[in-house]
Amino acid sequence: MIDKKWETCVKCGLCRSVCPVFREEKKEQYVARGHITLVEEFLKGNIDFSSKKAKEYLGKCLLCTACVEACPNKAETDLAMIFARIKNTQEYGIPFYKRILSLVMKNRKTMDLSAKTVNLLHNILFVQHLETPRESISPRIGSKLIERKRLLLPVVGETFLERYPSHIEGKNGRIAVFPGCGVNYAYREIGDAFIRICKKLNIEVLIPKEQACCGGPLYFSGLIDTPVKLAKKNIDLFNALDVDFVVVIDPTCASTMKFEYERLFSYIEDGEYLEKAKRFSGLVISSEKYLHDHTPLKELLRKTEIKERTVTYHDPCHLGRAQKVKQEPRALLSAISGVKFVEMKDADTCCGNAGSFSVDFRETSLKIGLKKAESIMETDADTVATGCCGCIMQVAEALHIKGRDDIKVKHTLEIIDEALK
Amino acid sequence: MKNKMLKQLTEIVGKKNVSADKIDLLHYAYDATQSTYLPDFVVFPENTEQISHLLELCTEYRMPVVPRGAGTGFSGGSLPISGGVCLSMEKMNRILEIDTENLTACVEAGVINYDLQQEAERLGLFYPPDPSSYKYCTVGGNVAENAGGPRAVKYGVTKNYVLGMELVFPTGEIVISGSKNMKDVAGYNLKDLMIGSEGTLAVITKLFLKLIPLPPYRSVLQAIFSDMREAARTVSSIIANRIIPSALEFIDGPCIRAVEDYLHIGLPEEAQAMLIIECDGRKESVEAELSLIEEVCKKNNAQYVKMAKDKEEEEFLWRARRSISPSLNRIRDGKLNEDVVVPRASLPEMIESTQRISKKYNLPIVNFGHAGDGNIHTNIMFKKKSEEEKRARDAMREIFETVIRMGGSISGEHGIGITKQDFLEKQLGKESIEIFRKIKRALDPNNILNPHKMKL
Ligand SMILES: Cc1cc2nc3c(=O)[nH]c(=O)nc-3n(C[C@H](O)[C@H](O)[C@H](O)COP(=O)(O)OP(=O)(O)OC[C@H]3O[C@@H](n4cnc5c(N)ncnc54)[C@H](O)[C@@H]3O)c2cc1C
Ligand code: SF4
Ligand code: SF4
Repeated sequence: MIDKKWETCVKCGLCRSVCPVFREEKKEQYVARGHITLVEEFLKGNIDFSSKKAKEYLGKCLLCTACVEACPNKAETDLAMIFARIKNTQEYGIPFYKRILSLVMKNRKTMDLSAKTVNLLHNILFVQHLETPRESISPRIGSKLIERKRLLLPVVGETFLERYPSHIEGKNGRIAVFPGCGVNYAYREIGDAFIRICKKLNIEVLIPKEQACCGGPLYFSGLIDTPVKLAKKNIDLFNALDVDFVVVIDPTCASTMKFEYERLFSYIEDGEYLEKAKRFSGLVISSEKYLHDHTPLKELLRKTEIKERTVTYHDPCHLGRAQKVKQEPRALLSAISGVKFVEMKDADTCCGNAGSFSVDFRETSLKIGLKKAESIMETDADTVATGCCGCIMQVAEALHIKGRDDIKVKHTLEIIDEALK
Repeated sequence: MKNKMLKQLTEIVGKKNVSADKIDLLHYAYDATQSTYLPDFVVFPENTEQISHLLELCTEYRMPVVPRGAGTGFSGGSLPISGGVCLSMEKMNRILEIDTENLTACVEAGVINYDLQQEAERLGLFYPPDPSSYKYCTVGGNVAENAGGPRAVKYGVTKNYVLGMELVFPTGEIVISGSKNMKDVAGYNLKDLMIGSEGTLAVITKLFLKLIPLPPYRSVLQAIFSDMREAARTVSSIIANRIIPSALEFIDGPCIRAVEDYLHIGLPEEAQAMLIIECDGRKESVEAELSLIEEVCKKNNAQYVKMAKDKEEEEFLWRARRSISPSLNRIRDGKLNEDVVVPRASLPEMIESTQRISKKYNLPIVNFGHAGDGNIHTNIMFKKKSEEEKRARDAMREIFETVIRMGGSISGEHGIGITKQDFLEKQLGKESIEIFRKIKRALDPNNILNPHKMKL
C-alpha cells in the first residue's frame, strides 16, 4: 500500500515556476502538476504507460523535489513518479541497459569485476582529460547511450573498500562509513580525503566490506526486487554494528537509505523491515553534517589556511533539499582562511544530471547543466564546491563546454582535506 | 474528420506543435479550478500567422478554440468545456522589446508576468500588475482576465498598463489595436473591449505595455489583530486618512494558520487577522506614511505592529501571502473560492456578513485578499463528495446576493468563466447580457472562440 501523498495537489501551477525541466521544455507534460495528473489518470484507468510518449513523460523528471519543496500542499511528485515507474516496470519491463545495470549492481563482486574491466581498458576505450574542470574520461567511440564527447568519471584500479582496512582506530566517536559507488569506484580521492579528515580528528572508523550498493538508481528507475534485497542487506549489516552514525559520503545513497528505504518497505508492506529501516534511518547521516555537528572540525578549520581562492557552492538535491544539509558545508568552507565564499544564483537548483536522466534525456540534461555553469561563472569563483559525484561530473562537463576549464570542481571534503594538510 | 483536421493542423503548426493523443490532452484539460474537460487537440503555435490560419481552419470546421495561458485561472476560462482545440500560448513567450526611452514593453502574450517584471527591473523600470500567481501566469492571461494583485490599490490593475495589442479574430483577421503611444484615440477602442474578455472575442498575440520608473524604496509592515473586524476597520480608516499604500492585504486567522502550517515562519497562530501593508516611493515619504499607518493600526487596537527588517523578511511575508490560496487545502479538501469586491468603506460590513453566513451554514469561511481595493477572497470550505457541497453552494449564493446588495461585484479579478456565469445576470441585468451576446455574435459569428463561457 502506498500513501498517495501527491493527492493534495490543487493544480495551482506554482510548480511551473521552479521545475528545471519545465523551464527548458515549457510543456505541462514536464512539470509536477502534469506528472501528478498523469499518475491520477493512470490510477483511474484512463491511460496506460505502453506508449513511447508515456515512458518519456514518466522518465523526464529529475526527482529533484524542487516542486515538493515549493508546493504549498507538499504534494510529493517524486513519490508519484517513483510509484508510476514501478507500475510501468512491472507491466512493461525496463530498457536493456538498465537491465544489465541491475544485474551488475545486484552484487559487489560483479560490480568490482565490471569496474576492474573498465579500468584495465581505460586507455583503449577512453581518452583521458586532465585539463578539464575535473579529471575525466570520454569514450573513443560514441554509442547510442553515451555520445563520444561526453565527459565521464574515471574508474579507479583499487576501490575505496579495497584500499582501507575494515577498522581504523580512534578515540573520538565511532562511525561506520558508506562511501557510495561513485566514491568507491570513481572519485576515490573524495573518500581518501574523508579518511584523512577522520584520522586528523582521531575518529574510530569502521568500513564494513560487505556493504551493498544502496539500490537508489534502480529504485528510482522503477525496480523493486533488487532494491529490496540490497536494502535488507545494508539494514541488517549496519543495524548490527555498535556505532554512533553511519556516515554516508554520497548524498544520493544517504537520502535513499534515510528516506526511500522506508517508502520501499511501506510499498511492499513489509512491517518488520519498515521498523528496521526506521532505526537505520536514524543512524544515517551525511559526511558534511556529521563533521559539522558532531566533531570540532569547524574550530580546527579556523586555524588552517589555504592558498587564496574564491569558492562557490552548488547544493546537490539529495543533500540540500532531501537531507536539509545546506548551511553545514557552507559553514565549513567559510571557516577556512584563504577561502572567499560567494553564493551563486539558484545554488539549490538541480544541475540536471539525475543519474540515468542524463543518459535518457541528454539534451535537456545538458541545457539544465549549462544554466548551472552560467550561475557559477557569474560569481567569478575559481572553484566550485559540491557534495555529490553526479553533480561533480555534470558541472565539470558543463563548465568545460562553456570553455571554462580554469574553474575547478571539488568536493567539499577535498577542500577541507587540503586545508588540514 | 478528426484525422483530416489533425493533418491540417499539423500543416499549420508543425508536427511537434500539435497532438491529439489522449495522454497529451489530459495535460491540457484542467486549470486551477481543478475541473477537467478534455479538448480534442492541443496546439502550440509559434507565431501570429499560425494562429490566424488555425482560426480560419476552425471556423471552417466550426470547431471550438480555447486560448490558454498557464492554466492558473480560477474561473475555468481555459477549460475546453465543449472540446475542440486547446490553443496554448506557452511557446509565444518572447519579450520583444523594452523601450527605455519611451518606457514601454512589447511582449508576446505567453510571456510569464514575472519574467517581464525581472527584465523591467533590471533596467530600472517597473511593471506593477502582480497577481499572486505572477511567477507562473502569462501576461496574455492577465489581460484576458484583467488581473489585479496586491499593488493594484496604488497602481491599478492590468488594464491600466495596456497601451495596445495585436489580436487575431475568430475569422482569422489580424488586427492591431492601440499602439506604443501614451495616447491614441483613432477609432473604436477595441483593445479595452478585449481586456477582461476571457478569451471569448479574440486571441491576444502581442501586447504593448506601459512601464513606469522603479520606485527607489519600499518597506513592509505587518499588523496583528485579535479581532477580524478591527483589522477590516483599519483598512477603511487608512484609506479614509488619505494614505494609499502600495499594498494593503488582509489575512484572517484560519488563513494565517494554514500558511504557518506550510511555511513555519513564526506567524502568530493565535491572531485573528493580519494586515500586510507596503509603501513605496522616496525613502522619507515611505517612512512618514508607514509611521502614520502604524498609528492608525494602533488606534484600531492592533495587538502589535512590526516592520520587516530586511528584504528577506519582506520576501518571506509576501511568500506567505501568495501561498494562502493553495494552502487552504489544509482546512478542507473542497473550496468555493470567490473574489468578491465591495466599495472599500463597506469592507467591515462584508467581513461580518461572511461570518454570519459561515455560522448559518455551519461551514468554515475564510477571508483574505486585496483589502485595500475592497477585493476579498472569500473561501467557503467544505468536504468534497459530502452533503457539505450543497450547503457550500447555498452559502455562496447568499454571499453573492449580499455583495450585490452592497453595490459590490461578484468578481474583482478572477473573471466569470464557468464558475460564476449563473450569477452574472443577477448582477448586471438581462439587458447587459443581451448586449454582450450581440458583441460576441458580431466578432465571433460562429461562436467558436471559447464558447459557452460568461453565458455566451
Ligand atoms: C495561487 C493563485 C493566486 C492567484 N492570484 C491572483 C491575483 O492575485 N489576482 C488575479 O487577478 N488573479 C489571480 N489568480 C488567477 C489567475 O492566475 C489569473 O487569472 C491569471 O491572469 C491567469 O493567467 P493564465 O496565464 O494562467 O491564464 P489561463 O488560466 O490559462 O487563462 C485565463 C483566461 O484567459 C484566456 N487567455 C489566456 N491567454 C490568452 C490570450 N493570449 N488571448 C486571449 N485569451 C487568453 C483564457 O481563454 C482564459 O479564459 C491566481 C491564481 C492562483 C492559482
Ligand atoms: S504540485 Fe503543488 S505547486 Fe504544483 S500544481 Fe500541485 S499544488 Fe500547485
Ligand atoms: S521533481 Fe524536479 S524535475 Fe520532477 S517535476 Fe519536480 S521540480 Fe520538476
